[in-house]
Amino acid sequence: MLTEKQVKEILKDHCLNLRFHARGGQGGVTASNLCVESFDGYGVCQPKFGAERMGSPTESYVRLSANYDLVRSNEQVYVPHFVSVLDDSLLSEVDVTAGMPDGGWLIVNTTMNQNEVGMTIANKNLNIATIDATNIAMEVLGRNITNTVILGALIRVSHLFTIDQLADAIMTRFKGEIAGKNVKAIKRAFEETCLYENPGGVEIDFKTDTKVPWQQVSLSLPGYKELDPAGVWYCDNKIMRVGSDQVNTGSWGEWNIVWDEEKCTDCAQCWFICPDFAIITEKGEDGKFHMKGINTFFCKSCQNCIEICPVNAIHKEPKQGPGSCAVPEA
Amino acid sequence: MSIEPMKLFFKEIKKPIKTAMIGNYAVAGGITQTDPDVICAFPITPQTQSVEGLSDVVYQGRLKAAFVNVESELAAMSYATAACASGARTFTATASQGYLLMAEALPMAVGWRLPLTMMISARAFNAPNLSIWNSWEYVLIDFGWNCIVSENVQETYDAAILSVMISEDSLFPTMFVHDGFIISHSVQQLTLIPDETVRKLTPKKMRPTIDPEYPGTWGGIVTPDFFTEGRLGLDVAKKPVLGIIDDAFKRFKDATGREYNTIETYNLENSSKTAFITMGSMCGNIISWMTKNKDVGLIKIRTYRPFPYDELQQIVQENDIEKLIILEKSDSLNNLLPPFAMSTATALYPLGTLFRCFIVGLGGRDVTRDELDIAKKKMKHVMDMKGQLYTYLGARESANKLHEVEL
Repeated sequence: MLTEKQVKEILKDHCLNLRFHARGGQGGVTASNLCVESFDGYGVCQPKFGAERMGSPTESYVRLSANYDLVRSNEQVYVPHFVSVLDDSLLSEVDVTAGMPDGGWLIVNTTMNQNEVGMTIANKNLNIATIDATNIAMEVLGRNITNTVILGALIRVSHLFTIDQLADAIMTRFKGEIAGKNVKAIKRAFEETCLYENPGGVEIDFKTDTKVPWQQVSLSLPGYKELDPAGVWYCDNKIMRVGSDQVNTGSWGEWNIVWDEEKCTDCAQCWFICPDFAIITEKGEDGKFHMKGINTFFCKSCQNCIEICPVNAIHKEPKQGPGSCAVPEA
Repeated sequence: MSIEPMKLFFKEIKKPIKTAMIGNYAVAGGITQTDPDVICAFPITPQTQSVEGLSDVVYQGRLKAAFVNVESELAAMSYATAACASGARTFTATASQGYLLMAEALPMAVGWRLPLTMMISARAFNAPNLSIWNSWEYVLIDFGWNCIVSENVQETYDAAILSVMISEDSLFPTMFVHDGFIISHSVQQLTLIPDETVRKLTPKKMRPTIDPEYPGTWGGIVTPDFFTEGRLGLDVAKKPVLGIIDDAFKRFKDATGREYNTIETYNLENSSKTAFITMGSMCGNIISWMTKNKDVGLIKIRTYRPFPYDELQQIVQENDIEKLIILEKSDSLNNLLPPFAMSTATALYPLGTLFRCFIVGLGGRDVTRDELDIAKKKMKHVMDMKGQLYTYLGARESANKLHEVEL
């Protein structure tokens, strides 16, 4: 693990890059903002550009350096040295270690131990830090908001800024009792973080640029010669893997939506109101469409169908397992 | 409910404040400080937070402005033009298709000599597919607006204030541009200017306006006997604008210490006598890349319109630049050059400087060290001005094959 002095030396000639993985609504962007505000030097923070929706996997990036010219680049972060994962259900859904150099630190909010986290990761030269931030947040803040808590673990492994600097940034951003509680939670996270350094003792090599050349161009996708000449997405020929039917909106929600075939009258009101075509229907022998179930790949548990169903044939049950409480209740 | 980053602007800012915020809120803050009378805009990604932030300061009572909701960008530009003609200091903002929808009303503010100010969060337009990400749509329409392009959040905040100064000094409308998402949604550090300083920089001055005491017809029809004279009059009035912009930059520097120039140069005394020329957020990428590539320079155009024709020639001549690499985030399909490159080429024509235009970063594709490396390498072999002068960089020809780049 880098010492505080080593980090100071590295920052003179290099950028240290952070990446936060969270779900929309968990405050990953706020966490990265706080890093910039706490850091004594130059820093920028970018969200992953595009539309962020409640419960969807999100990413945000931070670049920090003592050299302004290095931070001045508006390039995206390809080689994150420290990656923080706010929700361990993302481990199976997103490649959280993408681009991480050997010797980088992966910080996960989880109740799993390092072996269980390590099972999900291909690169064995990474260091892993685990912290049960959800538990700390529930006990100290009284709410499942882990974005500030995980920064305590980040400070422990990165030495990019101190708890006091972070406390100042939090005091400026949040007012009153909640600010004090956040600082308390961060101090506890700093103490309770479990560290597992890679067995080979590999350290980050800052001299080598490990960005994959032309990574930003996604080389494996079809080129202009293979795409439709008018950019049309035809339903049967999926050359361009885009569109909402490619998005696993089902992973965003915190409820399982359950359909009761006995009560259902096939009125199709749920089919019309569903924003993600998650209601499965089939044409029967009578020539009419009948409801057959709910597509869990698309259903994000918005609960519109529950609201509209006139015979209460649809109800919700909490999801089980990791990520079951993905987004804090407002 | 109020928007967290805007809270800084709810109170009088008495001394410079160091903070960090996204480009759009920074612009909303800068415009708040210039005390506009009318704000009229239609929301479009990635411009939205600028107007959202302004609605908040109006709602909080901090800004005594009319916040007008309209049904489209065409309505926004028409309303803003009319409000400005009636004497109000007016702000609007847009991007992409919104800018194209405004097109019909855009020439009016120029023709009527109105100091209207508009922010653009540059975003691709929709063809062949919809994209909400960054390209340079603003270079496509050329109606005589002044145009200031910013590299980062600090610059776009300052440009908000500078644009009001430039509009009111030149009596021509000014748009200031930052790259959508890359700047509009990135949190960067910046220093806010005290309100008193902004007030001194942007005093409200008398100018010709619609006046019920002195009625007249604005935009009335004229026969061929008059139209040409009207256009010539505008062109002559535009000539001093570059000087007015330089003067605004100078007064801004005296008040804040931050120096801006119409054209800014970096490392032009380099060994290869080659320089990149571009605008906006890409300049930051190049400056970072240049820390390891000291054999290439950079010319950064801040004032895109009016184009600093003489000054660019002078810079290229004085520094003995032999080759220019034009980086552009737009294309034209016109068999000549895309708009920014065409402007640059016109200025370079008397000098015979060798150049090539590389089209990069369309629809939000990142511009990285890969594109800069290959552009530099390709430029080494350029010895004449024959053949096609532009190429797309970082585009897939087919799977695992790049257009005109050996992998």
